Amino acid sequence: MDTVIKAFGLVFQFDVMIAIVASAFYGLTVGALPGLSATMATALLVPVTFYLSPIAAIATIITASAMAIFSGDIPGCLLRIPGTPASAAYTDEAYAMTRKGQAETALGICLWFSALGGIAGTLSLMLIAPLLADVALSFSTYENFWLAMLGLMCSTLVARSSPIKAIAAMLLGLLITCIGIDNPGGVPRFTFGSTDLLGGIEPIPALVGVFALAEVMRALTEREPPKIENRRLGSILKGQWKLTKEYPKQQTRGNIVGIIIGVLPGAGADMAAWVSYAMAKRFSKTPEKFGTGHPEGLIEAGASNNASLASGWVPALLFGIPGDTITAIAIGVLYMKGLNPGPTLFTQQAESMYALYIIFILGNIIMIPFGIVMIRLASKVVGAPRSAVMPVIMIFCAVGAFATAGNNLFAVWCVALFGIIGFVMEKNGYPVAAMVLGIVMGTMVEQSFVTSLIKSDGSILPFFERPVSSVLAAMTVAALLWPVFSWTRDWLRGRRAVAA
Amino acid sequence: MLLSDKVTGGVVAVLGGLAFAYGSQLPPVPGQQIGPSAFPMVIGAGLVLCGGLIMLGIGHRFEEVAEADLASHTAPEQLAPLPAWRNWLALLPPALLAFYALVSETLGFLPTSAIMVLVASLAFGARPKLAVPLAIIAPFVINLIFLKLLRVPLPGGILPFPW
Repeated sequence: MDTVIKAFGLVFQFDVMIAIVASAFYGLTVGALPGLSATMATALLVPVTFYLSPIAAIATIITASAMAIFSGDIPGCLLRIPGTPASAAYTDEAYAMTRKGQAETALGICLWFSALGGIAGTLSLMLIAPLLADVALSFSTYENFWLAMLGLMCSTLVARSSPIKAIAAMLLGLLITCIGIDNPGGVPRFTFGSTDLLGGIEPIPALVGVFALAEVMRALTEREPPKIENRRLGSILKGQWKLTKEYPKQQTRGNIVGIIIGVLPGAGADMAAWVSYAMAKRFSKTPEKFGTGHPEGLIEAGASNNASLASGWVPALLFGIPGDTITAIAIGVLYMKGLNPGPTLFTQQAESMYALYIIFILGNIIMIPFGIVMIRLASKVVGAPRSAVMPVIMIFCAVGAFATAGNNLFAVWCVALFGIIGFVMEKNGYPVAAMVLGIVMGTMVEQSFVTSLIKSDGSILPFFERPVSSVLAAMTVAALLWPVFSWTRDWLRGRRAVAA
Repeated sequence: MLLSDKVTGGVVAVLGGLAFAYGSQLPPVPGQQIGPSAFPMVIGAGLVLCGGLIMLGIGHRFEEVAEADLASHTAPEQLAPLPAWRNWLALLPPALLAFYALVSETLGFLPTSAIMVLVASLAFGARPKLAVPLAIIAPFVINLIFLKLLRVPLPGGILPFPW
């Protein structure tokens, strides 16, 4: 109880409160702008968190990402353009409701069930993380290696692209972490005589390049989204309680699926929304209504993506393995603030962990009033001309990377380079999220891989001998073989169809 | 910027081959079987394998399914193709960042970023009525945020921040 009171003391401070309110508005605005993702919102915040107290820094990341995931639904509802990839799964449905004249109900569902989903996700984080922390304490380098591999494989599975290209992208990320002298032998690798490369490629400039600059580049090649007409919206929350009572099963299922996908290393909110929408349709009594402006799928998917956001912090806090791209950034911030991820975080820094839970709950509660304000302002915000927003984001990319890298211009070059890499990869079907997870986890994968091999004297047998590590290994191999299985199944089905 | 699978797969495979070759040349740690060369070699081999499979077109069907799925969820007018030269315009933001890295130390943050905002804003199709005021105000505000609130010393150059 003492820790909880201390945690409240940590959260209810002037700077933390200001940070929460400011980042809430920031997240809502960025998320609502079509083409700017929640990940981008978070990546651009990192330089700012650099100069905040640890709790305020984490508060900005949590609040901004939760708000951005919700407000990505706004342009989806009103324009049929998902603000963030996590809303893409149900954009059609929401827009169909708007066309039927139910824009306020659709937006209300997104807001209400996002907030409830976020709270459910937080409760799961509070419950699962300490339980798993005990298990995690007994993990050796073998288990850590397989866990990291499982995370990397999951990130390739959920990529919605060719699995081979996803694996290639992930390996590319791992290769990038080989640069520098931070390796088992302490020898300079892939530095080509450059002193700037000795320290390796920092994840933050790479993230900013891939997620922010590449978006600016893509926007230049795409046409400007249409303006939202200034419509009068009725009460946003009216009827939401009725829907909550009408669809409790969908909501709970969405929450649970979201939590499970979030806990899986490597899979995040985007995936949660796609899976939950598909599930809602499959188990629905009226699947024919889907796509015509039916609330069922919207409820399930909306409940799911925000739930995954909180549970995505479980692997991040316990193992330093990101649940998705947002927690990949969060891990960087945790290290920066001396809250190094690991099971001991829950025993030695318990009050910080409680503070984190409180911020999550708080963020999801204030999402409702702030979200309503944002929905009312949407026609103004979403209508902000791209030609004014994008140049400013570009400057933030430069200055932000410069500031996080200890005022080094090399970081600006990194952002430019990774912008090009991210743009070209995305255009050609190589998922950048897989590469980013590779970059974030590379050093850890190599360390656990090499240390394990040294311990076993070069033999790979011990990787499969310990009970937990053999289970994790089996899961990793299954994730690797899943695309082969699904391809063979489709192929056999196709042959049967031809034969018949 | 859309390249064929043969080209991108080839690039991936060559990159993997180079990483493998480079990794194998790294000096071992005395007295240990496993050293800094193991990881780059494993990754290099993996990249060669992936690159080869991509060149053969394996797994391409998954992309078609995902693309069709996404297309069915996007408004049709957003998918209409734009002229090809717009693709090359994408190189402008990284070029402007390179410009920043090269001249910001001497020219200073305010003038450098004003030029960048002006060029980028015009490239996005803004009228001078919007682009010019934006290029004057935005760098000023960003400088204020970073210098005063976050205490990041941005280069002053020929036109330092006035207070």
